[in-house]
Amino acid sequence: MNKLYDLRFVIGVFFLIVGVLLIGYAFIGEDFFSYKMKINLSCGLLFSCFGLMMFALKKKK
Amino acid sequence: MKLELIDYLIIAIYFVFVIGIGFLLKRQVKSANDFLMSNRSIPLWITSLAFISANLGAQEVLGMAANGAKYGLYTAHYYWLGAALAMIFLGVFMMPFYYGSKARSVPEYLKLRFDEKTRTFNALSFAAMTVFSSGVSLYALAMLMDVILGWNFDLSIWVAAAVVFVYIFMGGLTSAVYNEVLQFFLIVLGIAPLVFIGLYKIGGWEGIVANVADYKLHMWKGLDDPSHNPMGIDAFSMVFGLGFVLAFGYWCTDFLVVQRAMISKNLTDAQRTPIIAAIPKILMPAIVILPGIIILALQNKFPGYDLPVNANGDTNYNMVLPILLQKLYPNGILGVGITALIASFMSGMAGNVTAFNTVWTFDIYQSHIKKNASEKHYYYVGKIATIAGILISIMTAYVARGFNNIMDLLQLVFSFVNAPLFATFFLGMFWKRTTGHGAFWGLLAGTATATITHGLTVAEGKGGWIANTHEYFSGTSQAFNIAWISFLVCVAVTILISLFTKPKPDEELVGLVYSLTPKQTDSNKIWYKNPLWMGVAVLIVTLMFNIIFF
Repeated sequence: MNKLYDLRFVIGVFFLIVGVLLIGYAFIGEDFFSYKMKINLSCGLLFSCFGLMMFALKKKK
Repeated sequence: MKLELIDYLIIAIYFVFVIGIGFLLKRQVKSANDFLMSNRSIPLWITSLAFISANLGAQEVLGMAANGAKYGLYTAHYYWLGAALAMIFLGVFMMPFYYGSKARSVPEYLKLRFDEKTRTFNALSFAAMTVFSSGVSLYALAMLMDVILGWNFDLSIWVAAAVVFVYIFMGGLTSAVYNEVLQFFLIVLGIAPLVFIGLYKIGGWEGIVANVADYKLHMWKGLDDPSHNPMGIDAFSMVFGLGFVLAFGYWCTDFLVVQRAMISKNLTDAQRTPIIAAIPKILMPAIVILPGIIILALQNKFPGYDLPVNANGDTNYNMVLPILLQKLYPNGILGVGITALIASFMSGMAGNVTAFNTVWTFDIYQSHIKKNASEKHYYYVGKIATIAGILISIMTAYVARGFNNIMDLLQLVFSFVNAPLFATFFLGMFWKRTTGHGAFWGLLAGTATATITHGLTVAEGKGGWIANTHEYFSGTSQAFNIAWISFLVCVAVTILISLFTKPKPDEELVGLVYSLTPKQTDSNKIWYKNPLWMGVAVLIVTLMFNIIFF
């Protein structure tokens, strides 16, 4: 419960959820390597990495 | 622009998180001190990002992209001339007085340094300004959502206001500040891919240089004459009007931003807050101004990027970001982009409401209505002020919808109050002879001068309601000139009246005036932890940006 009070954890969870959603959506109903897929996949990966980085910063503390 | 389920899902997740933060923090808020001042316990990294995010409202995100298209890189003056230096000055020189005096607000510092009437004047004008600004933000959000997504105007207003209300009412200032940090990352990460895609599409910076008029890609070229630059401004009013008066007036005296530094754990952190915030601030043009320049390049190379025209025939530059979102973002990331826009509106609104409830509770209610009540009593007053602030914001949003000119007028009147304010603080902090009467009448004279100057000059068809004695090239030029003129009048009147009135004794000014306050022996030997050296490093980088984009 205590980690919920750590803002880095909350921000990390938010961006990880959004990132995973974008990655999942990138593969739905489009040709491989379409514009939609490339953008959503790369942004999804970026957001997921950012979310994980926030977790890492929290752990470092 | 058509949203799909994934986009709505992302917006919904954002709403769940911002409200969730409020609920999580609810248990930690038990007193007025917790609710309105976060018990002065917020870590440095959070205060720094909240400091920058409180300023990253809708006017900033949409407005600077619009200015980027209209004025090109000249808009960067708001960052590389009109922000960094003022933020560093606040951290190094002014924060010791705000934080060290134990004032709970900027108006309360005026009470300690001068007297009750100067504080009340500042508190009333600030309280009115914040709730009206919050209303304008709400109106702009609802209008934008109506235009680009076809969402119902009333629904947008009430849903956005309800979300902001819930998270402030539950978790107070801490909740607003925590959400500002989330909103900061969302705005940056939500718009950064747009800049990247736009740059990629146009062929990088070389593509911009090849497709955008050269005069829009410089900061200082053409400042020799107002007719030689897109802002229609001269070097003196740019440097003195914007770079000194308006920038220092906003960053050093506006409680909306200063409050974020005042809730730090200790004085060193309070000093470092605006300086650390200056680092993302000087990089922000890449996120908020560059889209405006990118759209100019895209217009030149591809069809479909033209900006719409208003009913009066003017180009609607405020549509820069919405058009880029529509053209460059597919569904999915589009939801993130729209959420980033919503976040910017909510961040601006929450910042205004939390500053309003603090000033109302401490500087108006406690000082004039009920002086010696319990801590619990002021806690409830703060909560009621939050409800009132939100309701007035909603009301203002509806007024703005019906009478657009009234909002223009209100914002103009507020700018008249703000322009001379820095003179009052500057003299108060650095000249011990300044008196309460001098400060009060100086402020009034400065405000009156700003009003009269506007009435005597015209720009883009506005002003000149007394007589047309001078015509400026642009409204921006008029605003910068009004600022420095009212500043000088405020300085002159304050000095004159102070010389003829009795100053406070020295012992009452210790901790409030520079010459009477013991200098700190800074324990931070590491340069990057020392506020002064941190500030110098940020200034060097800022100077480099000015040289690179000269």
